[in-house]
Parts: sequence; C-alpha cells; structure tokens
Amino acid sequence: MIELEKVVKEYGKRGNAFRALDSVTLKIESGSTVAIVGKSGSGKSTLMHLMSGLEKMSEGKIIVDGQDFGSMTGFEVDRFRSRKIGFIFQSFFVEGRQTCYENVSLPLEIAGVPKRKRKIMIEQALTSVDLLQKQHARAASLSGGQKQRLAIARAIVNKPMYIFADEPTGNLDSVNGENVIKLLFSLNRSLKSTLVIVTHDHDLASKCAVQLTLSDGVITRRLAKVPKKRAAI
Amino acid sequence: MKISDLLKRSGKNLRSAKIRTVLTSLAIAVGGFTLVLTLGAGNGLRDYTSKLIESNFDPTELMVGKDKEITNAGTPSTEPKEYDDSVSSLDFGTTSLQIKRVTKEDIEQIKQLPAVESVRENYRIDARYITRENQKKYTLSVERFNPAQKPEVKAGNLPGGSDDLLKGSILLPDSYLEVLGFNSAEEAIGKNVSIHVRKGLPEFTESTGRDTAQKTIEYAISAVTKRSATSIAGGQLPVYVSGPDAKILYDFTSSGTPDYEKYTYVNVRIKNGTDEDVLSKAKSALESQGFYVQSSKDVQKTVTQFVNILQGMVLGFGAITLIASIFGIINTQYISVLERTREIGLMKALGMRSRDVKLLFMFEASWIGFLGGLIGSVLAVILGILINPWISEKLDLGDGNSLIIFNPLQIVMLIAGLVLVATVAGILPARKASKMDPIEALRTE
Repeated sequence: MIELEKVVKEYGKRGNAFRALDSVTLKIESGSTVAIVGKSGSGKSTLMHLMSGLEKMSEGKIIVDGQDFGSMTGFEVDRFRSRKIGFIFQSFFVEGRQTCYENVSLPLEIAGVPKRKRKIMIEQALTSVDLLQKQHARAASLSGGQKQRLAIARAIVNKPMYIFADEPTGNLDSVNGENVIKLLFSLNRSLKSTLVIVTHDHDLASKCAVQLTLSDGVITRRLAKVPKKRAAI
Repeated sequence: MKISDLLKRSGKNLRSAKIRTVLTSLAIAVGGFTLVLTLGAGNGLRDYTSKLIESNFDPTELMVGKDKEITNAGTPSTEPKEYDDSVSSLDFGTTSLQIKRVTKEDIEQIKQLPAVESVRENYRIDARYITRENQKKYTLSVERFNPAQKPEVKAGNLPGGSDDLLKGSILLPDSYLEVLGFNSAEEAIGKNVSIHVRKGLPEFTESTGRDTAQKTIEYAISAVTKRSATSIAGGQLPVYVSGPDAKILYDFTSSGTPDYEKYTYVNVRIKNGTDEDVLSKAKSALESQGFYVQSSKDVQKTVTQFVNILQGMVLGFGAITLIASIFGIINTQYISVLERTREIGLMKALGMRSRDVKLLFMFEASWIGFLGGLIGSVLAVILGILINPWISEKLDLGDGNSLIIFNPLQIVMLIAGLVLVATVAGILPARKASKMDPIEALRTE
C-alpha cells in the first residue's frame, strides 16, 4: 500500500519557493492500477517521484509498503527502490550498446541478486515481453516498441511490488502503444504488483482502476472504476 | 551492488567505447613502456655490474691504499697534498695524479693486523716485448696473476680456487697466437715464449762489456686466454705471470727507481673474509691506521649508484609521461560522465547507491590503467627480447649477459601502480557522477 499524508513539495529557496504539490493525501491499495493525469506542470511526475522515493518531500508523510520514507536514510530508500520498485520511462532509457540481457540484468545487479539466480529471472522477464529470442541482440538494434518492451522487462525482472510508468506510450505509435498497454495490465494481473501510470492519454487512464487528476499540485478529481481496487483518501 | 558486478559492468562499458578506451590507454601505455624498459635496463646494468665485480674482485680481499684518491670513485682531488717520499706521479693522458703510495713499511704494518691473511702487491712491470724462435717481437703488458680476476680460457687450464700460477708458466692472450706462429690455441699449450725486460735505470758493466740492463726470460704457456665479457681490464689483455715471477720481473725492472716497492694499492686478503662483519671490522682497523680501504662491495656500490642515478633520470621522464596521461584519463572520464548522464540517472533511479556509481566510474578508470599498463609492459618486453641480443653484441657484453632484464614481480607491481594512478585520476569524474541528481539526470537531453 502507498499512503501519502498532507504531502508538500516545494522547489527553490524559502521566500521564492515554487510549490509543486500542495497537501496531497491519498492511499493506493496494493495490486491496484492507478493513473495520474493532468496538464503539464500539474505535478504528476513530482507525485510519482515522491511515491517512488526518487525525491524527498518538503512536508508531510509518505509510507510505502509500511516503510516511512521520511524516517529512512538515503541508502535505505535506494535499497527499497532497488528491491520493490520498477520504473518505465517515456524515453525507454535502454542502453543501446548493451545486449537486451545486460539491460535487464542491471536492476538485479543493483539489488545484489546472486548471479546464479539472475539468468532464470532475466529469461522469464524477457519471455513475458516476448523478447527472449533477442536476448543477445544489442538494444540499439530494437524498434521503438521493442525497446519499451525491453524497458518493461527491466522494470519487472525483480518482481517489484510497485511499478511506476511515466508516459509509457508517449514515444510509441498507436499499435505499439496498444500492445504495451495490454502488456502492462497483463503483468499487473499476473505479478499482482501495484501499477502507477503518469499519462496524458485518457484512453490509457480509463483502463486503470483509479484515476487521479492533478491541477496546480492539488488532486482535483478521484475516479474509482473497480470497487475492489480503489484509491481512498 | 557487488564489487564483482561493478568490475564487470565497468569493463563492459569500456568495451562499448573501444576506440576511446584504447586511445586513452595508449597514453598510459607510453608511460608504462618507458618505465618497464627503464626498470629492465636498470636490472640488466646492475646484474652486469655484479658480474663485473664478482669476476674481477675477490670478495675476501680489500683494496688498501695510502691515498684517498683510491676511494673517491675516480674523481681526483683538487687539494694540494703534503709531500713525502712515497708520493709519485700517475699519468692519465695529458694529466697526472700525485698519489701517495703504499710502501714496504706500510705492508709490514698491514701484515701485523691479526685479521690479515696475506698481502698481494700490485707490481708494475715494464716488459719490452714478447717473442718466440724465428718470430718477430711484439709489445705486451705483463701482470701478476690475480686468482679473483679470471679471464676466459680458450685452451689449457687455470689454477683452481685461489691458487697462483706455477712458477715459469704464463697465460697467453689469444691475440698473440697467430703472430707468434701458433696454428691453434691447443698447439700453444706447453710451448715456450720469451719475454724481454729492461731496467728502469739502465746500467752498463764496462768490465764485461755486456749489457746487464736487460734480460730475456723463457716461460711455458699453461693456458691461452681470451677477453671475458666481464673483464674490466682496458686495452690489450695482459700476459699473466705467477706471483714469484712477477716479483722477479718487478725487481729487475724497478729496483733502483724512485717508485720501487711503492704501490698505488695492495690487495689484502682477510681471514674469514666471506663474513661481512669480519671484513667490515678489518676495514675499520685498517682505516684507523690511516689507510684508505675499498671492498668489492664499495666498488659495486659506487657503480650501482651511478646506474641508479641514470635510471632515476629516465624514470623521471616516464613519470612525466604518466602525469600527462592522468589528465587524459580525467578528460576522458569527464566526457564519459557527461555523455552517460541519463544512464547514471537510470542507475540511481533503479536504486544504485551513489557510492556504487562512484566506484563504477573509478573502476572504469582502473581498467584503463590496467589496459595501458598491460599494453606498455607487453610492448616493452617484446622490444626488450628483440633488441637484447643486438645490444649485447654491440656492447660486447658476452654470452649470457643482457642489458635488459625483466623482473615479472616488478612488472606486476608497476601495472598495479598504474591501475592505482588511473583510479586516483578517475576520482573527480566519478565523484561528479555520484553526485548527480537522478531526476535531473533523467531529464537531460
């Protein structure tokens, strides 16, 4: 579960600070799918960064999987992220000069997974995104859709409890975008991990169990589609 | 992240930028090459020096003189010396050196020391020529045989251990074989040759009408010698005679001259002189009696010091090259950090600790150092192996002697040193990478 209580994020120095998030309070149930929508600059990405421990809040409380980020050291947050969180970015961020296998291996190495366990985990992840046959190919040789599938494999390889996807279809054509969406939801069901998607795409958002709309750093709308998996204040 | 994974990943990162990696490594390789070759040359020179000392000096003997010139490594003193009867002139080309010599009384004084086993005088023998029946006369130099200074033998046998030559026998250099009518070295063994000497102060006995100022003595050839690669005797190889024969020749040629029974230095054999403590105490005892003393170790130290200074200078040039290559590594790694900003952001987003990011980039620098060290060392060893025979031949070092001797441990230590230097050079760029904010890094275009 992800819980935020009166979370504030400000950038800049006092007196001239910009408030990107203003007293956000929410609760995301484990295993649910949540879309965070809103205009550019509304605070979507900031919210995602705070929930994933990439940034520190200015005020408030963030508890993820029972861990209070505010009382954790940087090292503890890093370790938490490496073991329990997967990321998918709009720009894929796959390392083109490395093979698909090496790209997917990175989170496992960071999490300190023993080498003997890695191979099977990597092959499972690549199989689930239908890229096993490309495991020895350089990532640079993949198409855009394949690169995003590779990024998804990297995000799910250590079976994270939380997957954060920042505009996952933003750089894909409609066909590839649709495939990636299907894949993400299918993995959410099979892995039972919580999927948080930041998106401009209303079609994609509508597929999520919960939609949160942000405007000027404030949640202005909450829409729960499926009663069993919902976000609550 | 495990250190082994960081090492592997840093290696992979370098492999994906091969040209840049190799070019940066080459800068280190130049330094490594210079250092390995210089260390090898230093080893070779020191080894050759040791062989020179071993084959020319008896370690149980001390060179004992009355003048400090014999201990000042060939740099003549510029200070005037107080005159006494033992001072005489030693010619060096156009200059001469005034040397206070060891006299008969000094030798007696040396012999009184309990540690002294024997004293060997270094006779200066003025021989005129050597010849054989029906052959022309040829100039020569005659020296007393020194058991510690053994020439290479072409035919015949040298006396064993510290034994002297048999009285009436000589060692003939191979350069005299052909001119004295021998077809081979073996043929000369046991044959007689004549050595002609003349008194330093000629005198003529009118009553007999015979010239008693010169005489010819016959000697049997016991061995034919050739120049040893480790011989320090300059010019033509001398004809060696036994101690008693040398004394006879010396007495005949020098008696009555002002330099008679005065020696630049004498060789003093010390009882149990193989023990360094005993030798050192004997040296101190002689020095306390006003003698100037040098052991074979002192001579070696002087030569080695010269080699070390030379080596130090060349190593200095190598070190300067290394300093230049350090800047190359810093530059390359800074560019790498800038180029891979988003990769750094991703790694940090995935939970990689700042410390591990720093280590990753430092290890990349370490690999560059390792690769450079390896390339430089391999090239230096290959070049050394290729040019060693040629240098040995040109410098006439002799069989089994090399100017460049590689010490594997030294090379391993040097590569380790280069890895360390490269790692230190990588600290600043690695620090920059580790301090990057993941969000900012991921946003970088």
